[in-house]
Amino acid sequence: MYARQNGDVIESVLGLTPSSPIPELRGLRPMLKHLSQTSYAAALEPEEPCNFSRAERAALAARMAAAWRCEELATHYRARMVAEGGGEAEAALADPAWSPPAPAGRLAAVLRHADLVTLKPKSATRADIEALKASGLDERDIVALSGLIAFVNYQIVLVAGLRLLRDH
Amino acid sequence: MQDPVLDFTTDPLDWRPHIIPVDLAGATPEQLDAMKVTPSNKGVSPYVLVLAHEPDMLRERTPLFNEIMYGEGGLSRAGRELGALGASVVNHCVFCASVHAARYIQQARKPEIVAEIFENGAKADLPLEEQALFDFAVDITTDPMSVTSYHLHHLRNMGLSDLEIVDLIHAVAIFGWANRLMHTLGEPHRKG
Repeated sequence: MYARQNGDVIESVLGLTPSSPIPELRGLRPMLKHLSQTSYAAALEPEEPCNFSRAERAALAARMAAAWRCEELATHYRARMVAEGGGEAEAALADPAWSPPAPAGRLAAVLRHADLVTLKPKSATRADIEALKASGLDERDIVALSGLIAFVNYQIVLVAGLRLLRDH
Repeated sequence: MQDPVLDFTTDPLDWRPHIIPVDLAGATPEQLDAMKVTPSNKGVSPYVLVLAHEPDMLRERTPLFNEIMYGEGGLSRAGRELGALGASVVNHCVFCASVHAARYIQQARKPEIVAEIFENGAKADLPLEEQALFDFAVDITTDPMSVTSYHLHHLRNMGLSDLEIVDLIHAVAIFGWANRLMHTLGEPHRKG
């Protein structure tokens, strides 16, 4: 049902070979591995991307991974952004140091929210959702954006933890 | 309007969304399927009704969450709940912390652990085994790239197998996900 990314993203970004113990451990949790991958497809490669194109989703994911200094995932998502046809506009927002010249509007609101909920979710309040609405996002857009941010942050913790096991 | 609950509590809470949930009566077949609504199961929480705006994501997320937290074997249920609590304390998801504190107490029968965590947050002073699990959850949530071989050593010293550590990583990670939805898309209120 989705145009799926080839292979398991976690194993690919961690550079895991069959001789590494991690694929074997994950093999003992086949549902977790499978559903992590189908969740990736739902967040990054939805059939109906609605108001967030696949390239924009990949760029936002790259921005979140880079904000946490998770280079493996940032590299993966930057490549994915290019593969989805992302150009200069997407490349700019994939850089966590970049902010849009216009401080108002949809893009500024989306980036502000992605940065806040990635790095300081505890500081988020109702006002942050109101700001997204004021910038023109509807309920579905807000859930799509929140779901993408939440999924990528799940993946970052997973990569950080599994990398530790891979290396020690 | 009543104020939201801002401090950690084991009291049962209601979650009220900041956005309009899907109207169950008007839900699409795709949304009903993702919400697992059947003629015999019509009880759907406001949280699930909010997430049903994106049914493709919800359909994968629910079984993933359940398998991570309640799947057979590996790390104890209490251990997973402690990982969930560590993440929820750092991300200050009062609703998640309340639900999973209650489940932790149900499993471990150690209300004093939750009392210490709610009193001192990420700096909670716990018995060695609980401390190892909780600190791993707190540190990887605070900064995923900050965890080191020291954390792993600590967990293995407590007798955790690598498979149990994989389970713990998933439990903490899925709360990095759940907290970012629950704490941002709505807020907790006292029941009633």
